[in-house]
This record gives sequence, structure tokens and C-alpha cells, in this order.
Amino acid sequence: MNRPNADTAELPANHERRVRVVIVDDHAIFRSGLKADLDERIDVVGEAATVDQAIAVISEVRPDVVLLDVHLPGGMGGGGREVITGCAALLGHTRFLALSVSDAAEDVVAVIRAGARGYVTKTISGQEISAAVVRVAEGDAVFSPRLAGFVLDAFGTAPADIADDELDKLSARELEVMRLIARGYSYKEVAKELFISIKTVETHVSAVLRKLQLSSRHELTKWAAERRLL
Amino acid sequence: MTTIPVRPPLVRSGERMIAGVCAGLADHLGWPVRYLRWGMVLATLAGGAGAVFYAWLWITVPTAVEHARRNARRPASPIAPAVSLPLASPPAAWPPGPVRGTAPTLDGGQQVPAADQQVLAAPLTTPAFGAPGFPAPGGSTTSEQFPTSTAPAAAAWFRRRRIQYGKEILLGLGLLLVAGILIARQFGVDVPLGTLIPAAAILSGAAIAWMQLDETRRAGLVDKTKADQAGGWARLAAGLALVVAGVLVMVSGSGSWEQTWLALLASVAVLGGVVLVLLPWGLKFWNDLETERAGRVRETERAEIAAHLHDSVLQTLALIQRRAGSEQDVIRLARAQERELRSWLYRDPGKDAGTLADRIKAAAAEVEDNHGHAVDVVTVGEAAMTERHEALVQAAREAMLNAARHGGGTVSVYLESSPAGSEIFVKDRGHGFDPESVPDDRLGVRESIIGRMKRHGGSATIISGSDGTEVRLRLPVEEDENPAANMQKENHEPPKR
Repeated sequence: MNRPNADTAELPANHERRVRVVIVDDHAIFRSGLKADLDERIDVVGEAATVDQAIAVISEVRPDVVLLDVHLPGGMGGGGREVITGCAALLGHTRFLALSVSDAAEDVVAVIRAGARGYVTKTISGQEISAAVVRVAEGDAVFSPRLAGFVLDAFGTAPADIADDELDKLSARELEVMRLIARGYSYKEVAKELFISIKTVETHVSAVLRKLQLSSRHELTKWAAERRLL
Repeated sequence: MTTIPVRPPLVRSGERMIAGVCAGLADHLGWPVRYLRWGMVLATLAGGAGAVFYAWLWITVPTAVEHARRNARRPASPIAPAVSLPLASPPAAWPPGPVRGTAPTLDGGQQVPAADQQVLAAPLTTPAFGAPGFPAPGGSTTSEQFPTSTAPAAAAWFRRRRIQYGKEILLGLGLLLVAGILIARQFGVDVPLGTLIPAAAILSGAAIAWMQLDETRRAGLVDKTKADQAGGWARLAAGLALVVAGVLVMVSGSGSWEQTWLALLASVAVLGGVVLVLLPWGLKFWNDLETERAGRVRETERAEIAAHLHDSVLQTLALIQRRAGSEQDVIRLARAQERELRSWLYRDPGKDAGTLADRIKAAAAEVEDNHGHAVDVVTVGEAAMTERHEALVQAAREAMLNAARHGGGTVSVYLESSPAGSEIFVKDRGHGFDPESVPDDRLGVRESIIGRMKRHGGSATIISGSDGTEVRLRLPVEEDENPAANMQKENHEPPKR
């Protein structure tokens, strides 16, 4: 997370190196469309259509970011989650961004808890997805409004007041950030609204992601399973 | 006494001496309470029958309050709701009065469904009244007793009235027969009990088991609880045991315990051997049956999915191909179809559709359809609809319409419901607007958003900048309770559009 120019992450700043990306999706049309949409900061170095292929390709080319569909054929039927667990050894180097048409909370939460750094819907524009890829490559988390909504729903909208349940609740500031993201604000807009730097926003979002991944409260999974629709 | 339907329900009355049984019964039958009370006392003198009957009614008949509570949840049963009450006491607690303690053979073995117990008890207990000179109409001739005793109970059994009727009459006749035989024995007539009892056991056992079968078939129609099913198994087992015992006694030819025991052992051994041989076949047959059934279920499901996809997705795809020239139309169709498919795939059918979140989503869908603009809705928490929430929905809808009409890009809608109230944020990514440049006659926003929210104790704020506009709507839970909460986010900018 030690990046020299964190505050200008929204723009393609001085990138010496293009972000190396593997696209994992079982629809060839979607893969080629996505490839065409990604801008010049991004270099697609591999593609895969199934779980097994994905694990093989990712282990071989060791990309910076994997754009990962949540629903994938092959493997043991675990989809995107299985790809992440299959590449657990690379998690320090390779980062995963979940892509999904599924809005089902259980899918999204499962893939995030497996280790994905973010989640975006497939209807997102090429520009937005490029920005998200760059952000994830830099070690930050990417939250779509919907994921922020999931988080708020799962953790509740009351801020944490005691320190010892810190993993199970969001702090007041994190809640504010999540709310603004759910309202459709970009990180920059969140920063402006809360009079904080983009870097601070990113820190908050990363903290929320950590809680989402590490929180041991089983209600989270239960909640996701019950919450079939959003 | 012959007209069945119009009668007050059999409930324990509030004007009571002990438990309100007699008063309730009097209300129900339309007889003077005094007669009933005296009848009860007299019957008690006759071997305690009255007391037992009283206790039984006490247990099974609900009080008026209980009755009302139960009927609130169900279609009203006109008469004697007690029959549908699961019995607290085992059947052995029936008054054995008139048959002088010889009845237990029947009572103990026959595990009759709760519904039938009242019926069984009725012909049993009515003679109990008759025997000690109960002065009630109906006297001692059996033909007249049936309408008075079995009919109310049967009629109350509203779910299975028709079938139950015949069953009850049969049971009553059977019991009368038993009583007759027993009385005849008292008078020294030689009755071949050794043959009759096993035969009766077989008959009643079979009847019980078959009744169970009948019920299982109906289980799809009648909504049954698990307890009922457990009771069904018990009934089946009881029926089986009765039949087996009857057959054994009959075949062994004597009531001798030793011989019966031997025969039982032998027959169980034979049965075991047969089962051992036939088991593989049986299992295979069962498996085949299950596989076939599962296959059929899958087939049905597939057909349903295919039908749905045909009606929705394929139609939309065809439309899209025809309208390929118009980007706006294609986007609109695709969004509408996506929404429809999503709700079909992920909607929980058990969830009721009347919440605030659903209404907001519906409003967003409508705006999307009419303007071809993507409206993304994120909801957190749930709130039930009230009149005030209706106003909130209308205001939000207006805000979404404006955003789609004047703003650009995706419209983001965020709804958060908490115990304190509901908040809705509608954000667009247009160029914003200058409130000064809006003509004064454009009152849409002022009236339909801000005014409406204020009238219903909420507030609306509109923030517009170069990178978009956001409408914030807030509706606290009870405006009377904390008016201070409303003041916090009062609209400072006079927004017009």
C-alpha cells in the first residue's frame, strides 16, 4: 500500500508498468468485449474459461490482477471462490476483482471472503472497470454501490462503540464512507464530501474489506444465504 | 333437536358452578342448565359416569375465550370446535359407566384419531345418561339418539364432513353392538366371545389402518402438521398390531396365552424370512420409483423454465433484433429484461412484496422503462408501507424522473431504513443545474418533492453541483415524537428544476 501518488489514483498517473491482467469468464463474447473495453493502462496477458484453466493460467503468468467471474464451470463447482482458494499461494502478489451479473449476496460475499479485493457488476463501463483494475492492482479495495449496500445490510447501520467487537461492526467513519459509496459516490466524491483525502477513503474501504473477510460472525454467511435477492 | 346447523358453539360458559361445562352444554343443546346439572349429578351417582364425562368435557371443550382465539385463525366451525382439539387425555379415560368396566378391551387397543373420540364417546356416554333415568328427550331408543349425539360432532368436522359421517355411524353401531353383547352376557346369554373378540380386533385394526391410508392420500389437500403425521404412523401401527393379534388368536383357536405366544414367534420368523428374501426386490422397486419421480419433477421444472424463458427472454431478444438501430430502445429493452429475469431468479416467493424497498424498486423500474436511463437501486433494511411512506415513494419517484430526464449517466438510488426512519438518496451525474435559471412557474420539484415531504413530516434537500445532483429525502419514524430530528436536515436550498 506504499504508493507514491495515492491521491491521484483516479487518473492514469505516471505508470512505468502496465497492469497485467488475466480475464476469467466462461463467455468468450464477454471476454473479448471486456478486452476491447479496457484502456491502455491495462495489458491482458491471459484468458481462461473454467476453474481449472484459470488456476493453471494464473499460476503460469502470475498477473497483477485477475478479473474473475463469480460463476464458472469446472473444478468442484465452487466457481470464482474456488479459483481464489486454488491460487491462495499467489494472493500476496496477484489480486482478484470479482465480476458478476449475479446480484445474489451469497455469491458476492463468498467470493469476497475467499480473498477478492472487490466486486463490480458486469454492466460497468470500460472506463470504470479500468479504473477499478488499476485501483486493485495498487492494493486497494473496490466497492460497488451494491457491495457497499450488502456490507451495510450485513453489518448493520449502527456504529461500533466498544473496541472488542471491532471486527463485527463498522466504525462511524467507515459507515459514512460505505453509505456514500452506496449512494453512488466515487472515491473522489466521498473524499470531497467528508473533507478527507482519497487516501483516507481508500484506507477506510480497505478496513471494511478486511472486516468483511475476517469477521468471524457467522451471521454474515447466514445473512448472505438468507438474502437471496437484491 | 333435529335441526343441526344453527347452534351456539360448544364452549365452556363463563357463568359457571365448577368449570362452566354444564352451562356451556346447555347453551349448546338449548336445554335448561338445571336439567343438565341434575343429570350430571345423577350420572355421577351411577358409578361415577357423570363425573368422568364432566372431566372429559372440561378437558376437551375450550372456554369461550380460547374458542374465539382459535377461530380468529381459522374459518369458523359452527358447532363443537372441541372435536378438532388434540386430546390431552388418552382414550382410556372414557366413561366406562354403562358397560361396567368391560369396555377396556376396546378402549385400550383402539387408538382412534382425535376427531373420532368425541364420536365414540357420544354414543357411549348418552346411554350413561339414559341408564340412571335421565329425563332428556331421546329416551333410550337408539334410533333417536344418533341425531342428537353424533350429528353435532360430525357436522363440526367441517373438513371431512361427508366421509366422516358414515364412519361415525358405523363406529356408533359397532359400539352399540358391543354394549348389546355385554348386556346379553349379563343376562346369561352365551355369546361366543372367543370368536367375536378376535374378529372385532381384526376388523377395527384394518379399519384404522385403512383410514390412515385414506388420510395420507388426502394429505396433499389438507394441510397437515407433523404431529398429525406422527399420529398417523401410530394409528397405522396400532391397526397393524390389532390385526396381527386378532389373526393369531383366531388361528390358534384359543385364547391360551402360551399357544398365542408360540404362534406369534413362528409367524414373526416366517415373516422375517419372507422380508429377507423380498427386500432386495422391494428396495430396487422403490429406487426405480424414486428415480422416475425425480426425473418427472426435473422435467416439469425444465418445462417451466423453458416456458418462462420463451415468454420473456426470447421475446425480448427478438424485439432487440428488430430495434437494433435504436440504441435507446435496445438499452431499455435489455434493462427491462434483465430486471425481470433477475427478479424471477432471485426473488424469494415467500417474501411479501409490500415493503418500501420493493416499492422504490418498482418506481425505479418504471422510470427506467419510460426514459431508457439506468436506475440502480441499493437498499439497506426494510420498512413496511404506511401512508407516509407512500408519500416518500412518490417524492422519490419524482426525483428519479427528474434525474433521468435532466441528469446524465446512471441514476443511483440508495434507500436506508432503520428504526429511526427512512432515507432515500437519488443521485445523477448530469451537469447539475442553476436554480436561478429555472423559470418560476416550474413548481414540480418544489411541490411534489419538497412540499410533499414536508406535509408528511419529512424533509427534502437538493444538492446540485457541476458533477451531478443529489436529492436527499428523509422520513423520520414518528413526526410527533421527535420534531427535532426533522429540523436537522431542513432544506436550505430552494431548488427548482
